[in-house]
Amino acid sequence: MGVFPTKRLWLDLGDFGVFAHGGAQDLWQDHGLGVLRTIMHQAGVPTDIASTRAMRWWWQVRRAVRGYDQLFMNVRSYTFPFAYRAAKIFKEENPKGLVLVGGMHATVALDELEAVPEIDYICQSAGENVVVPLALNPESFPRIIKGISSKTLGEWPMMDRTLWPNPQRRDFPWPLEPSCGWGPPPVATVLTSRVCPWQCVFCSESSYIPNMGRKPVDQVIDELNYLDDHYGPLGSVVIYDSMFFQQPRWLEEWLEKYPKRAHKVWPYWAGGRTDTVRQWPDLFEALVRETNWDTVSLGFESGSTRVLNILNKETTAEDNDFSIDLVNELGDKMEAEGKKAPVFWANIMLGIPGETREDAFATIRMLRKMKRVLPSIAYYAPYPGSILGHQLIAEGRSNMTKDNYHRYAHDRKVKGIDYDFYDGLLKGKFDRGINAGSSKELEARLVKA
Amino acid sequence: MSSFDTPHRIFLFEMVNGKKKAGYGPSPGEAYERLGLRLTTMEMAQVRPDKFERVSQREFRKHIHELG
Repeated sequence: MGVFPTKRLWLDLGDFGVFAHGGAQDLWQDHGLGVLRTIMHQAGVPTDIASTRAMRWWWQVRRAVRGYDQLFMNVRSYTFPFAYRAAKIFKEENPKGLVLVGGMHATVALDELEAVPEIDYICQSAGENVVVPLALNPESFPRIIKGISSKTLGEWPMMDRTLWPNPQRRDFPWPLEPSCGWGPPPVATVLTSRVCPWQCVFCSESSYIPNMGRKPVDQVIDELNYLDDHYGPLGSVVIYDSMFFQQPRWLEEWLEKYPKRAHKVWPYWAGGRTDTVRQWPDLFEALVRETNWDTVSLGFESGSTRVLNILNKETTAEDNDFSIDLVNELGDKMEAEGKKAPVFWANIMLGIPGETREDAFATIRMLRKMKRVLPSIAYYAPYPGSILGHQLIAEGRSNMTKDNYHRYAHDRKVKGIDYDFYDGLLKGKFDRGINAGSSKELEARLVKA
Repeated sequence: MSSFDTPHRIFLFEMVNGKKKAGYGPSPGEAYERLGLRLTTMEMAQVRPDKFERVSQREFRKHIHELG
């Protein structure tokens, strides 16, 4: 009698139906899933893939998981409701099968995953060094596993993007990605660094993700050239790092090599902080001009230093103003030279506990100073994992539950916040208090954050 | 006042009910003051400005169950 190979399924998690009908951000691919599947496949541990984003009904999930021995899921807080329901369905279909999960939510809200009896193994922290032995010999592991991360991103294999789910859309250049308005398609999303070391209390990611060394500049460029050769021509790049504009030595090497070694100086989206822009303005300007950093994502958060202090942002309204003036002037100069001006992707939060109406007006005023901007506005959400999130949960002020961790920007997630005021603010009802003009565009720009 | 001039620290202040309140700032005094930016006077009266411990961001997770 032959031995049947273990059948393994990765379930990509997200809102139902968004591959067909979702917005741009719903189509982003999951780098954690991609890297872990690459590691498994290179080790001779193949997995099949299915995605809730390609389905519309739970019966389709049931059909997709039927007959498998192992189910793998990368669980984020906002996908947790899908993960626990999928785990239950998997066990109903495959009572002897195993459910193995990891991801951010396993790290920041372990108790919620432990409470789901259908989940057999939970990997906290990084999964890259544990996923293969866990798949091969799960019985040798405890239910809760502490993953050990690689020392640097350079140790990760180059992700095989054909292991991502294929949305099967004409406008989706799989295994590359579509444009979400930042740069032309096809888009290559890459990571050069992981973990922002600052201590903003709405995020606090370095409290739960271990520090890792940055990916060598040459390796980043090699990957982009490979993608261009095999799936391109590339249109633009998204550097997904939580904090791209840090570590000046790495940035100087990027400045030197990217324009020379990349097949093309593809325009890119990348993020920074306003105090780092103020600290290294010459380096910032050189990167914008010479490496085509044309969508500059900055975490402004608020136009009020008082609120920035509530968020422990360690920046000031003056830092924000400095960056706005710099990018406005740089954009004017570049346009005068016949070049495309850089655009802000401005991360803004409203509805922060302790924020006054005047603070919120200052934020809108700040936003209106930006000459070229794509506003990304969301109401503050007290996610577990973040220091302020945990504090507000302990105070009983959070409206978030395991059933509504989703990232809908208009959600009313904190008790005691006057959300009607904020809705009115974004509709322009308080423009007289801010300055003239309509805020309709801002309301439309509430995005998943 | 950016992070390059005055790096911040995280402090856990004791509360009169035995729980702890997370504050942050360049010093314990400023961290306590900043708690007052979002808490009411009555809520602030529950927090003891003179009783605190400094914790690193990395260690904060160990104290989540103590918060109140």
